[in-house]
Amino acid sequence: MSILSALFLFATGAVPPPAPPPPDPPAILVSRQLLASEHLALGDVIALSGDPKGSRAREFRIAGVYEPVPDPARLGMVPLEARLHLSDLLALIADPADPAASESVRSIGVKLVSPAEASAFMRDLTVRVPGLLLRELAASDDSDVTFVVLDRFHLAISLVTVIASSIFLLALMVMLVDERRDTVAVLRLIGLRRRRIFIQVLAEGLVIALAGALFGVLLAVVLEGGFNRFFQWRYDTALVFVRVTPAIAARAVSVAVPLGILASVAASWGLLRRGAMALARR
Amino acid sequence: MSAKVWAFALRSLARQPGRAILGILGVAAVGALLFDMLLLSRGLLVSFRALLDSAGFDVRVMAADAPALARPRIAEAETAAAAIRALPDVDEVASLRLGNAIVTGPDGGTHDIFFIGADAQTRRRPWILLEGRDLGASDTGGPPPLVVNRRLATTLRLRPGSELTLRGDCARGVASAAPPVRFRVAGFAAFPFDDPKAMTAAARLADFGRTCGLDEKSDADLFLVASREGRGPEAAVRAIRALRLDLHAFSNEEIVARFQQVGFSYFRQISAVLSTITLFFGFLLITVLLTVSVNQRFAEIAALRALGFTRRRVVLDVLAQAVLLVGAGGVLSLPLGLALARWLESILHAMPEIPAAMHFFAFEPRALATHALLLALTAVLAALYPMRLVSRLPIAATLRSEMVT
Repeated sequence: MSILSALFLFATGAVPPPAPPPPDPPAILVSRQLLASEHLALGDVIALSGDPKGSRAREFRIAGVYEPVPDPARLGMVPLEARLHLSDLLALIADPADPAASESVRSIGVKLVSPAEASAFMRDLTVRVPGLLLRELAASDDSDVTFVVLDRFHLAISLVTVIASSIFLLALMVMLVDERRDTVAVLRLIGLRRRRIFIQVLAEGLVIALAGALFGVLLAVVLEGGFNRFFQWRYDTALVFVRVTPAIAARAVSVAVPLGILASVAASWGLLRRGAMALARR
Repeated sequence: MSAKVWAFALRSLARQPGRAILGILGVAAVGALLFDMLLLSRGLLVSFRALLDSAGFDVRVMAADAPALARPRIAEAETAAAAIRALPDVDEVASLRLGNAIVTGPDGGTHDIFFIGADAQTRRRPWILLEGRDLGASDTGGPPPLVVNRRLATTLRLRPGSELTLRGDCARGVASAAPPVRFRVAGFAAFPFDDPKAMTAAARLADFGRTCGLDEKSDADLFLVASREGRGPEAAVRAIRALRLDLHAFSNEEIVARFQQVGFSYFRQISAVLSTITLFFGFLLITVLLTVSVNQRFAEIAALRALGFTRRRVVLDVLAQAVLLVGAGGVLSLPLGLALARWLESILHAMPEIPAAMHFFAFEPRALATHALLLALTAVLAALYPMRLVSRLPIAATLRSEMVT
């Protein structure tokens, strides 16, 4: 091409268009933990590979950050995760030698219009597509068993704590009763009957137990936030470790109050059975 | 403290036996829980370490630093194992293939079993033979040998010499096209990582490959490596890492350290929290008991001081009472704690996939020492306030006040 013809082409706008910019890397989401641990930022372009050696790496752009769904079974493991479009993931990890690799997935989530018909749906699908492994997500699995066992363990620990607390309470009530021996003697000497004093002891036990139980619940509510914050920081998770629900508070009070009353009655029993003169050491 | 101080403190406690017994029982309950929490804090680590060490292999080599189910296999395993075996820091290498198999029971029902293919050339085995014979390296004619765990033997009513047929299911979800293989039970073995419900069988690598339809010299899931005596596992790990950059070698120590970071850390946290609470509880109990006791004995203590007891002597009396209460409770807490640990262990062992040989509560002398130290510290701290009350008691004013009241 001569210079003249080149100039002509330029003047008429017939020059070859410039090369198009490279396509924007596909978008991905990364977990908050991955973003922090690798010091990434939104909009960064990162390379991912499906191979530990880093071969066949592809570039992706961080479009967003997400908080992984907390999983108690993975406590202590930092969720360094990324979410890719399925087509991008298949292109990244598929074995080039296996033509079917880009068409296979590990699992398919199905949301039924009528969840109550899950069993019938699974039976039907098993007949239509043999070889599929179907599992109802609402069905119990090993992780459920783990938490049932942990629940039993917590219950056992609570039982031991209640026994220790009851002994402590009984010791306190015995000392309280000892302190009030002279008072009880005077009350008996001025004519109050055993039954009347017994009711007073019961009432006192009830008040002390109620006050103690309510204080305990209040303390648990106050500590709940601190406890959760500490363990959420410790494990870098959004899991809630302690939750004081009305049902739990009611359960604690329903155990503590009868125990408190029982402790005050047991501690006072010896005192109530003695005669007024014996109490007055006469 | 002299014997007189102890005797005097003992008499002081014996004067109010109900109170003293309740104090001791309270400390025993608190001490038992504390002891259990100390056992729990390291129980899994101690028993996990014991399980890893039980077979005599101190290094594990795998293809990737990933959980077992997601981990790729070691390719060209035979060559890799031979290269590792040739290292001067390595004594022995055993290749392992892990899979599943299906076996039909005497009732006609099928059972899924955990199926292991192991190198039969090694002196060490990743299992403990309990009865019968181990897998031999050479063929003796007849069906190939198989070692099975007790649970499988009981379920299928097997005895050494019994025969059974396995259908391999080893390709992680892909059914094997290999024909079923008839095996002869050579012996019964205990597999350290079996959970109580596991049915496990192990065969030679070649027989495993035949059952699963795999090439005899194909991949391996894991190499168990025993370091040479005197060299240590760290040297073996370094040598393997230098030899094969693509393989991941870990000493038992490193695996335990990793387990400590992620596995069951919940139990360490709960033991730390409960230990703190129980200690505080014990401290509160003893402080209240001694303080009330001292308050009730002000007149007596003032009288003793007036009679010539030194301040140091009455303070030591309070300290001795605290030590006696905590000491007696502490001693009682040990059998209580052990019984409680057995109960809690039985609850926690219902968790799925926990090896039967793994224990949440494992006894260590250091746990006993820590328990004694923490209780002693609690006794001293709990006695501080009542000791202060006694040491600052004004003799004349107290006596006058007691006379007036």
